[in-house]
Amino acid sequence: MNETDAGTAEPAQPPPTAGEPVSLVQIMLLFARIGITSFGGGLSAWMYREVVDRRRWLAEDAFLSGLTLGQILPGANVVNLSVYIGQRLRGGLGSVVAVTSLLLPPMIAVVVLGAVLQHFGDLPWLHDLLEGIAAGAIGLTFSVGLRAARHATSRNRWAPALVLGVFALVGLLRWPMIPVVLAVAPIGVAIAWKKR
Amino acid sequence: MADNLHWQLFAVFAPLSLLSVGGGQSVIPGIEAEVVGIHGWITQQQFVEFFAISRAAPGPGSLLSTLIGWKVDGLSGAVIATLSFFLPSSLIAYAASLAWSRHHDSAWHAAIERGLAPIATGLILSGAFTVLRSSSGSASVWIIAALAALTFSLLPRLNPLPVLLAAGLAQVAVRLLL
Repeated sequence: MNETDAGTAEPAQPPPTAGEPVSLVQIMLLFARIGITSFGGGLSAWMYREVVDRRRWLAEDAFLSGLTLGQILPGANVVNLSVYIGQRLRGGLGSVVAVTSLLLPPMIAVVVLGAVLQHFGDLPWLHDLLEGIAAGAIGLTFSVGLRAARHATSRNRWAPALVLGVFALVGLLRWPMIPVVLAVAPIGVAIAWKKR
Repeated sequence: MADNLHWQLFAVFAPLSLLSVGGGQSVIPGIEAEVVGIHGWITQQQFVEFFAISRAAPGPGSLLSTLIGWKVDGLSGAVIATLSFFLPSSLIAYAASLAWSRHHDSAWHAAIERGLAPIATGLILSGAFTVLRSSSGSASVWIIAALAALTFSLLPRLNPLPVLLAAGLAQVAVRLLL
């Protein structure tokens, strides 16, 4: 968390853990906003932009390791990530507030949407609208992935090989994610340890 | 009767929560087998509809559990299904992040965080690609996704919502015109 941010494009960012602690109300407001506005999925990308890029509540490495942890463990990835972010910022209460705020507003939205569709039957334009929004959310996720890849590359010339390797195996070849992560993670950590 | 239904919802979703290794998508077939096949709470057709709604609506796709609970027993069913599906796995995630962040000053912790960053990055890109491939596959979806990626890359601090709305309207326009 010290020189790790030196490679990013933005100038002069404050250290993520310095300054005022993040309040529970701030956590609640942010996660509720992400929960209700994240149409089409891609919530990890929204969280990355808000928590790492815009607010600097967590360093990128802390965020990404939490994301990896959340993907390996059982449970929805973004919910696990929210548990982790809340815990890092404000302990157990932080986790409860983050997850509740993330889930409650979209729970209402999903039931309302379900009721609307059952009442009006199939609306082709609504289907197209949601499909386009989902496509936009895919673009958002890609841009966050590219940005994280650039950042990792700026610190470590082996990073592109690891990024592309995981993408090729999991994304293109559809190998099961967990064995791939368990096999590649020690390589990544060994490189990071040597470059300490 | 309602208590019995609540208990059944819990018995369906809580074990699947603990089995959903790698994310909520991994137990979608298990949910389908339980709620359509074994319990017959909803039809196959409804399941496909609910799946599509939960994917497109805001929030995580696993809110499919909310929709099913709501269909089975209204508000209380929705709450119980959601809690049953999210609470068990969240407790594990909490224990894991507690154990993980306890050592955040040590050198090996920093090395692990740094070493995992490229892997997480590969997973983010894989996730986007997997969703793209499972979409309807029309060319316009790929083009909209690419344009959105370009926009977000050039303007990293932009609020995503207007861009997503524009993406949705673009798809509506494409379908109307072609």
